[in-house]
Amino acid sequence: MKKISFLLNGEARSIYVEPNETLLELLRDRMGTKSPKCGCDSGDCGACTVMLNGCTVRSCLVFAIEADRQEITTLEGISKNGLSPLQKIFLEHNVFQCGYCAPGMILSATELVTKNPHPTVHQIQEAIAGNLCRCTGYTPVIEAILEFTKQEQ
Amino acid sequence: MDAYKYIGQPVVKVDGKEKVSGAALFTDDLEFGPDLLYAEVVEGPHAHAMINSINTSEALKVPEVLAVVTGKDFPYNFGLYMNDRYIFAQDRVRFFGEQIAAVIARTPQAAIKGAQLVKVNYTPLPKVLGPLEAIAEGAEILHPDLMNYVHVPWFFPKADSNIAHHRKIRKGEPDKGFEEADYILEDTYEVPRFSHCAIEYHAAVAKYDHSGRLTVWASSQSPNTQRNLFAKALAPLGIRHNDIRVIAPHVGGGFGSKAGVTMEIMAAAIAMKVQGHPVKMMWNREREFYNTYQRLGVVAKLKVGVKKDGTITALKHDLYWDAGAYVEYAANVVNAVGLSAIGPYNIKNVSIDSYCIYTNLPPGGPYRGFGYSEFLFGLESHMSRIAKHLGIDDVEIRRKNMIKEGDLTAYGAHMNPNGLSEAISKVAKEIEWGKKIKSKNPDLAIGKGFALFWKAPAMPPNASSSCFLKFNEDASINLLISGMDIGQGLLTVMAQIAAEILSVPTSKIRTENPDTDRNPYEWQTVASHVTWSCGNAVRNAAIDARDQIFALVARSKFLPADSLYLEDEKVRCRTKPDFELSLKEFIINGIQMDDGTYRGGPVLGRGIFMPEFSSTNADPDTSQGGHPNVHYTVGAAAVILEIDKQTGKMRILKVVEAIDVGKALNPSLVKGQIVGGLLQGISTVLYEEMKFDHRGKMLNPNFTDYKIPTALDIPLEIVPIIIEVAQPDGPFGARGMGEHPMIPVAPMIANAIDDALGLRIKSMPITAEKLCLEILKNNK
Amino acid sequence: MAIPYEFGYEKPGSLDHAIRLLGEHGKNARLLAGGTDLANQMKQGYRVPQLLIDIKGIHELKEIRMAGKELHIGALATFFDLRSSSLIMEKANILYEAAGLVASTGVRNRATMVGNICSAVACMDSATPLLVHDACVHTRSVNGEKSYPIGDWFIENRKTAIQDDEIVTHISIPLPEKKYAGAYQKMMRYSGEDLSQANVSVLVLSEKHFRVAFGSVGPIPKRSPEVEELLNSEGLSEKTIEKAKVIIETVIAPITDVRATKEYRMHMTKVMFERALTTALDRYRKPRIIAH
Repeated sequence: MKKISFLLNGEARSIYVEPNETLLELLRDRMGTKSPKCGCDSGDCGACTVMLNGCTVRSCLVFAIEADRQEITTLEGISKNGLSPLQKIFLEHNVFQCGYCAPGMILSATELVTKNPHPTVHQIQEAIAGNLCRCTGYTPVIEAILEFTKQEQ
Repeated sequence: MDAYKYIGQPVVKVDGKEKVSGAALFTDDLEFGPDLLYAEVVEGPHAHAMINSINTSEALKVPEVLAVVTGKDFPYNFGLYMNDRYIFAQDRVRFFGEQIAAVIARTPQAAIKGAQLVKVNYTPLPKVLGPLEAIAEGAEILHPDLMNYVHVPWFFPKADSNIAHHRKIRKGEPDKGFEEADYILEDTYEVPRFSHCAIEYHAAVAKYDHSGRLTVWASSQSPNTQRNLFAKALAPLGIRHNDIRVIAPHVGGGFGSKAGVTMEIMAAAIAMKVQGHPVKMMWNREREFYNTYQRLGVVAKLKVGVKKDGTITALKHDLYWDAGAYVEYAANVVNAVGLSAIGPYNIKNVSIDSYCIYTNLPPGGPYRGFGYSEFLFGLESHMSRIAKHLGIDDVEIRRKNMIKEGDLTAYGAHMNPNGLSEAISKVAKEIEWGKKIKSKNPDLAIGKGFALFWKAPAMPPNASSSCFLKFNEDASINLLISGMDIGQGLLTVMAQIAAEILSVPTSKIRTENPDTDRNPYEWQTVASHVTWSCGNAVRNAAIDARDQIFALVARSKFLPADSLYLEDEKVRCRTKPDFELSLKEFIINGIQMDDGTYRGGPVLGRGIFMPEFSSTNADPDTSQGGHPNVHYTVGAAAVILEIDKQTGKMRILKVVEAIDVGKALNPSLVKGQIVGGLLQGISTVLYEEMKFDHRGKMLNPNFTDYKIPTALDIPLEIVPIIIEVAQPDGPFGARGMGEHPMIPVAPMIANAIDDALGLRIKSMPITAEKLCLEILKNNK
Repeated sequence: MAIPYEFGYEKPGSLDHAIRLLGEHGKNARLLAGGTDLANQMKQGYRVPQLLIDIKGIHELKEIRMAGKELHIGALATFFDLRSSSLIMEKANILYEAAGLVASTGVRNRATMVGNICSAVACMDSATPLLVHDACVHTRSVNGEKSYPIGDWFIENRKTAIQDDEIVTHISIPLPEKKYAGAYQKMMRYSGEDLSQANVSVLVLSEKHFRVAFGSVGPIPKRSPEVEELLNSEGLSEKTIEKAKVIIETVIAPITDVRATKEYRMHMTKVMFERALTTALDRYRKPRIIAH
């Protein structure tokens, strides 16, 4: 048992963890943060994506204990003060269908536009290629991100 | 053209905000407190074996393990169309990984540990791993009790065989038709199994409380059907329909995998053994592959005769379906195809034999397309080959034979109004059919492929929908239905229908996934039928509410009811233009008269819809005489495919698809289905491949080696085309289209490959590897 | 719970501390950097370390820098770091190219190149680029420093020459004196995330000086002296390429598994070899290095 402290969506949190807990399990099962999802538990589907110090990671492949003294952001954090402009475009364009991949997908998209305000279509595809979606066919996601970057100009 | 305010608009999805903010709760997101128990299955390690003994004593000794259940605890069979399934295996296992027991514990770790300690003794039996093998002379019989299974009257099992159902079509005179043919092409096409790969696992939590109430929270497309099957299967334990409550949280993708009942019945049954405690059963990615419904495999033998001008004179289609270990749902896939395996063509002389065959592989079941993708691969490949042989254009041969309104279907009913001709023209134009494209790079070959498609909802003739429409004081509405939003946007479209009729904006209409206690009945969210069926129920409920409103205003305000109309949440009068009465003034509390008394009360709309023209009464030997399918949705599609001749890798440069949806109630959602469905179809051709070993064990039950496409694998250009030839009995003319987008993809890619390289591939998938090795073989 | 058994965790703040821990626990411990491989292996029960030593606190291991004429890539450099490094893009473009094809962004943000070659799984992307660059793997232990030429690093599938008490600190790449260019080709089932079913790296040092390595088509990734000798003596021509393809058939041993058949792997290796060769030579001949 080790006590770890970290920022979760901007809030300072402390909790005891076992080394064999994954970050995904900690967030979902013991901290009430449900937006990161389990879709494969092996890092292939991206549904578990969270941001660790501003970079997307697969939380099913991160040990909870590694979060100590780091900064974790989930989709709840992005939505904390209302929908971000990127989320609004996803909403208005009816991009998501079942919504299960959305948390991971939106975090990957957010990371992209934060680091690269004018991505090419290929760069957008690359940024979200680790987020599997069975519903949308990806094109609406890509078009919405492009629309967002145009609006931001 | 009517000017609608909500219908035909790209209204924002009613559940969009929840999903985009991460607030949407799926089954595994729900909290049940510290008393929640966990169940872990014990799986059989044989494709076919007798169970001699199950020793649970060691498992029961594990701390925090509360109980172990086996087939002996639930010796009840069940099924949707045929009762050939058990909750846990009884005397034998019939596919690798079948569940034979479950361990229930306080923690997931203890349940897993317990499951590992259950000792089972088996005697392996001979197994059959393919449909032709299963019907060969001397094949092992997998269901000796087949003829004792209860089933719907329109299924025909064959005694002493592995054929669970045989649908036969005999129309006209096929033999004569072949004699009249100038050219006959006969060949075999093979389509293997596929997996749905919804990103959310199956999950169910069940609690049997001390009032005798069984509540099940499950990721499901069919809460009412689940309740029904739970009630029937568990009736011996003393439970009735009204004791069972199925609550459906958001669903993370279904595609058919969450229709009917799969693992949820285990949670329900287990809950009854640990009364008072909620118990959760979660699947994992591996089990999503090998212990959930799979899309059936099929070996299809097709024989088509044509005149030299391309007119089809006869069609004989024999389909041998690999339906898996239990076919309670799969048998209807076989049935549906049996009725429709002529494709969208007008053919006078038809012989179809569709066989549902047991194999020792995972149970087949409903998958987007319900057998149509599978048979159309062969049929649309066949049509292009015939055209090529006769020197007739691919599009022309289809136009020549396409089914028109009023033509007879394979079972002798009349084809509904449809825009197939318009779809063909628009697709051919958009893809620039007839114009050959050549790549500047000599290593690349480019080809174009075309295909038609159709599908009818495959459901019992009395599948129904219903709706309660509740107004609130502020004239907002709670729309109660049991149709599920599984991503397609059903809830939004239902709100749009109510909005249009009642002039209440969609932003004031709340529609949510159902609770079977509170929401009225819906058969299932499958078959691309809920927009039509549930839409009609909602429309009827809205009209019912509107009628009540007008009747009330008429008698309270002494205005003729037929002069009233609704506009902007107010009642207006055509003959008295200055009259207006806001709904919120009276919708709950009634209208006050001059003497102080009130008229009316809460306005409550009630609507049901069940087709009353559908019937399975048909000659069992010919299938003529019934009206099993309510209507067909049709369309056409084409693709421009680029092939790297050195590697076999394929790139879709452009794909065009036109679907006649009758009326696009929400065009953005229709396009969403087209784009998503196309990629799912493309994936079954180019990327997905299930591999089994000689033991019948699936070798790639994971995303590492069963590849579903990523954002880097999409076509370069997608053009969805919406055709609107109204469905006369559809809400605002709409008919369903959710499954259809993926149906034409496989044959049109195969046709494009033939166009590019002169190579005809007759089996799926057509991966880069398969194509490359074929090219190399051809080069020698 | 994905990992049901219990184990310990330490996060040393210095290299010395990490080395001491390794010296103490040896084969019962595993080093944790990105963890993308290790986490899965632990979930599958393939590896069951009693202690995880998290080295992410040892910041000096993250560096990508020049050390004289050598390019040094620290053990903690992730594939994202490689893709963000102008040094890697300009001086080791085969690595740059390979790094971009590993998994997906969320994995590249964590997975390290050193972790990749330490796991030594057959589908590694980092191996053949390092092989054609004659890289060197540097380790430290309680017994001091050691270096392994990359050709001696891979022993068999999932096994390297590393000892239980050693930690890799960095990889060094001796950069050629004169101009050079390279190319990496990876056999994938599609354009999205996939494990390599075969890969080829080619480094061009002059019109008659080539280095070629093949990965995922044998028990370990290897250079091919036979192919190199042919190219180096005859230079590049259609004829030499055809001859080289014949040699390739004898020097690689692809297998049939759930991912691909050996026939397709063999064929693709030859195609990728030709494409890597022509691309690399093209890059060599053009005045500036074109990165992917």
